[in-house]
Amino acid sequence: MENIAELQHVSKIFSGKKAVDDVSFVIPRGSVTAVLGPNGAGKTTVLSMMLGLREPSLGSVRIFGQSPKHAQVKRRIGAMLQEVSVIDGLKVHEVMSLIRSYYPSPLKLSEMVHLAGFTPEELNKRADKLSGGQKRRLGFALALAGNPDLLFFDEPTVGLDAPARKAFWQQADELADRGKTILFSTHYLQEAEDTADRILLFNKGKIAADGTPDEIVSRLTSRSVSFIADMTGDDSYAADEMIHRMRSVPGVRDCKEQEGRWVVTADNTDTVLAAIFRYNIPARDIRTGQGRLDDAFEIMVSADHDKEAVS
Amino acid sequence: MKMLLMQCRVEMLRIIRNPYYVFWSLLMPIVFYFIFTKIVNTGIDNAEAWQAHYLMSMTTFSVMGSAVMTVGIRMVQEQTLGWAVYMRITPLPGSIYFISKMFGQTVMHAFSVIVIFIAGFLINGVHMSIGQWIGSGLWILIASIPFLALGTLFGTMKRVDTASGVSNIAYMLMAVLGGMWMPIDSFPSVLQTIGKWLPSYNYGAGVWSIAAGNAPDLKPMLILAGYLFLFMVLSMYIRKKQEAV
Repeated sequence: MENIAELQHVSKIFSGKKAVDDVSFVIPRGSVTAVLGPNGAGKTTVLSMMLGLREPSLGSVRIFGQSPKHAQVKRRIGAMLQEVSVIDGLKVHEVMSLIRSYYPSPLKLSEMVHLAGFTPEELNKRADKLSGGQKRRLGFALALAGNPDLLFFDEPTVGLDAPARKAFWQQADELADRGKTILFSTHYLQEAEDTADRILLFNKGKIAADGTPDEIVSRLTSRSVSFIADMTGDDSYAADEMIHRMRSVPGVRDCKEQEGRWVVTADNTDTVLAAIFRYNIPARDIRTGQGRLDDAFEIMVSADHDKEAVS
Repeated sequence: MKMLLMQCRVEMLRIIRNPYYVFWSLLMPIVFYFIFTKIVNTGIDNAEAWQAHYLMSMTTFSVMGSAVMTVGIRMVQEQTLGWAVYMRITPLPGSIYFISKMFGQTVMHAFSVIVIFIAGFLINGVHMSIGQWIGSGLWILIASIPFLALGTLFGTMKRVDTASGVSNIAYMLMAVLGGMWMPIDSFPSVLQTIGKWLPSYNYGAGVWSIAAGNAPDLKPMLILAGYLFLFMVLSMYIRKKQEAV
């Protein structure tokens, strides 16, 4: 598979601080990649270096095998930036025609109108008078004006309501189906999990994890077994005994009572189940579960905070 | 070429749709012209020469204003709205973007010149030879280039408020001290000395000569060229420094 973008040992230093720290990855053609991370993780800085807006302090960024500043690269990319960009003094359809005219084989104006979902009245409005959501839709149509092969969306759904967000990702899915390569940044973890086939998890300027949403989840979250235990006789002794036994099972991290259920967190749920039967624990309503990516993300970020507090 | 034409057309559309342009660059100079030639200074000797002189003052006042204010404030606006950044990821070369801005601006200046000249003709029947009309118009357009450069210098500012405040003050000071509102001869000598070194006075001086039937001196041309050089170097230097981030 051909690589659309290649970053090699890229760092970006702002006044002595490393915003991006030795990041390397490749983006294969047709992939949908989410750049995920908390605010200040370096997501936007990475994207802006890939767009040629910022120069890496170290390392190299190649898009289609060339420098991102190359006109030939710019003809094949489209982007929605985080800042909502509008030009004043022009009507919506004039802005669309203007941006179309920059590209060698642009979309038809009618296709752009369809993508943005604008009514004829909206098309005749001044672009700077549009609402926030309408500006986003305009930005989306403009990103696609040149019929690009590679699309960048930097936090595309910030400030959108739920239906608009859903509509946006539906369109993104359609683009992916048409073979476009898509790279988007988000801190909505659900979006990364639902839309992307690969997640680059950023934290403090570094790639903390790189894999499919499933891999990221299993790497970062522990699985758990929960059950209700019918303790007869001396309850407290049985409970202590059980906690002691479960904790001595290899791979088990914790065993505690939560809202009337016993929860055992472990790397492998099978060994927990085996232990339950081996020790004749009077367990019923046994469920196995797995933390969601949202939780994984929280765990990673907070784990990081803990380390900081110690050091 | 298609890109350039489209871009110029767009820039002109944006200027003409700006209510400030219509007010400051067309209406104000014409109203001032009417007041200072019809109401205030009536009964002056050699009224005809004064009317032609003051028509040139007001036209330079108008064009200088839109060059300094429109260009600068618009550039800051595009920067703060993120539009300037967006343009950098499109295939439109920065040079074409800049050239069409300047070209569109100059076409609008030509429009202002024609409108104000016609107003002068209608209000006072200002009479000059065809050569003088065309010469004056050309001087006003060509010698406005240093003010466009000054506009781009103000365009490097971070906030729209600062840019519009600073360019407003610079514009008014230059207009008054440069003798665009009243002849510089009526000023105290210190102000006269300062005024004669300002770009605005030299901008006016060339076209005042043409309106009086003489060729413009070399001195204003040299001073304006000097200012052009200074503004360009400064604005490029600041821009380079900002982009280095």
